Amino acid sequence: MREPPYATELKPYGRALVDLARRRGDVLCLSGDLTRQTEVDLFQAEFPERFIHGGMAEANMMGMAGALARCGYLPFVHTFGVFATRRPFDQIANAIAYPNLPVRIIGFMPGVSTPGGPSHQAIDDVALMRVLPNMTVVDVADAVETRQVVAAIADVPGPVYVRLKRGEIPVIFDDDHVLRLGRACVVSAGTDVALFASGMMLAPALSAARALGGHGVSVSVINVPTIKPLDSAAVLAAAGAVRLVVTAENHSVIGGLGSAVAEAMAEAGLGCPLRRIGLRDTFAEGSLDAAYLFGKYGLSTSALIETIWSALGRTGPAPAVPPAAAVAASGEYSPV
Amino acid sequence: MSPTLHVSDPGIRWTVADPRELALRIRLRAVQMVAPQGFGYLGQALSSAEQVAAAFATARPGVDRLVCSPAHYIIGPFAAAAELGLLDVSGYGQNGSAFEAIGTERSPVVDYTCGSLGQGLSAALGFALADRFRGSDARIFTMVSDGELEEGQVWEAALFAAHHRLDALVVLLDANNSQVDGPVDTITTIEPIAAKWSAFGWHAVDVDGHDVDALGAALAAAAAERGRPSVLVCRTSTRHGLDCLPPNADGHFIKLTPDLARAAISELTAKLEALRA
Repeated sequence: MREPPYATELKPYGRALVDLARRRGDVLCLSGDLTRQTEVDLFQAEFPERFIHGGMAEANMMGMAGALARCGYLPFVHTFGVFATRRPFDQIANAIAYPNLPVRIIGFMPGVSTPGGPSHQAIDDVALMRVLPNMTVVDVADAVETRQVVAAIADVPGPVYVRLKRGEIPVIFDDDHVLRLGRACVVSAGTDVALFASGMMLAPALSAARALGGHGVSVSVINVPTIKPLDSAAVLAAAGAVRLVVTAENHSVIGGLGSAVAEAMAEAGLGCPLRRIGLRDTFAEGSLDAAYLFGKYGLSTSALIETIWSALGRTGPAPAVPPAAAVAASGEYSPV
Repeated sequence: MSPTLHVSDPGIRWTVADPRELALRIRLRAVQMVAPQGFGYLGQALSSAEQVAAAFATARPGVDRLVCSPAHYIIGPFAAAAELGLLDVSGYGQNGSAFEAIGTERSPVVDYTCGSLGQGLSAALGFALADRFRGSDARIFTMVSDGELEEGQVWEAALFAAHHRLDALVVLLDANNSQVDGPVDTITTIEPIAAKWSAFGWHAVDVDGHDVDALGAALAAAAAERGRPSVLVCRTSTRHGLDCLPPNADGHFIKLTPDLARAAISELTAKLEALRA
């Protein structure tokens, strides 16, 4: 595990998809008018004959992808997460999920990582995809996992939704970290609190755990890259050993990681206080940058610390962390 | 007789001696399929019988594909397959049957159907792209209904198909002027239909959808078309070929009382005997 500020990489996904396509002739790439933004300009340059411009027509693109998969191809479909899930939900349900076809839907720019306003923020994509039968849902945390996720999902027999951060991708894990699809992973052990994080929330979760540890609060941080199927055994093992369970997701608290963990705990009869960090049933407005939105809507390292501090009944001021730079230095990623 | 057979399955065989007779038998079979329930999508079979017969008469078994975008129309391909000896459709529409009245993923005969309207043409495009990648010359016969033209996805697909010059596609567009809330032209103005497709870059023609000779000629012309997908705007009626239907029959979902079913079977059987005589 590396320490912040994290170095960043550009286009780890785009390079990984090209690597897979070099090995496998069945890989096709579809893009919904966001080719450079979804890193598949790399694929288009190397395999133009296997690249399909879907244009701004997500419904049609999903329908075509389903039929291509039916014919034995492995289509990877690219757009922003919000357009990949809200607009063509019925098409994904009927043309991809119901027939259980191996289409890979890659949605970039998760949650409030964009200043593009509510129209561009995928705050419900995990919930929408999670509710569909046959669908696997993945939200990886860093560049090391992003490099591995393409190969990890290649042979899943059914459809997969992957949400990916856009732009500079932090390198949090060491190079020998292995992404295991369907498995949650304890990345930092603790005894008081189990803090489950997915995607972009791993970095602030680690920072919060570090700060709390300095003040006598021992926090387990569990990275949950596969939200469906949830690694219930790992969730229950971690949740059963602490006084407080916290989930952290760059998404609505309804229907995503927090809901999945709550369902697993409740069905197992595991009674333990639970706090869900995420967008609290609201759209997110007003920003120039993601850090502002993470702060405004309670997704920051400070918000994590304060939530855990008060839930444990601690008195006095919560541990402070330096505010994240509004604009990270180029090539450097600080938890927001 | 496998319930999972599809038009494009290698090794499948059928022949259509007379598409006019097949259309009549599709009507009769559809009445027999709907009669046990007393209601169903008989109007769709009546308006599309000649299109289905023409598609089966033209398509190469085991090579070409059949897509049924409006899954309510699945009764037509089921009836045709039964009449061609490809499968037994008994149990259609009943609890536990694989032959659901609105087509599903399990529906045999067609290569694709989708109960949520407006989606089938996109799947046909995916098939056309896959066939192009593989160097196959398969043609894709795609049933689309006029009501589906109200769905935006149809036009997304129409733009894509023309841009990519997917000339393997031929759409049989059933313009029966019927949707759930009433005649299509009282709900939304979709005319001029052929001019819209032409403007989108398609080879588009208006055809009498109950004239099997005209349909056969139009399908042949579509097959000769290079660089453009084709659409046949088939002008039809949900009551065509069944004179005993009451004038107020709801074409989208016809009620078929036992008396009416007996009359319909009697009428269509007599017409079939007359045709064969």
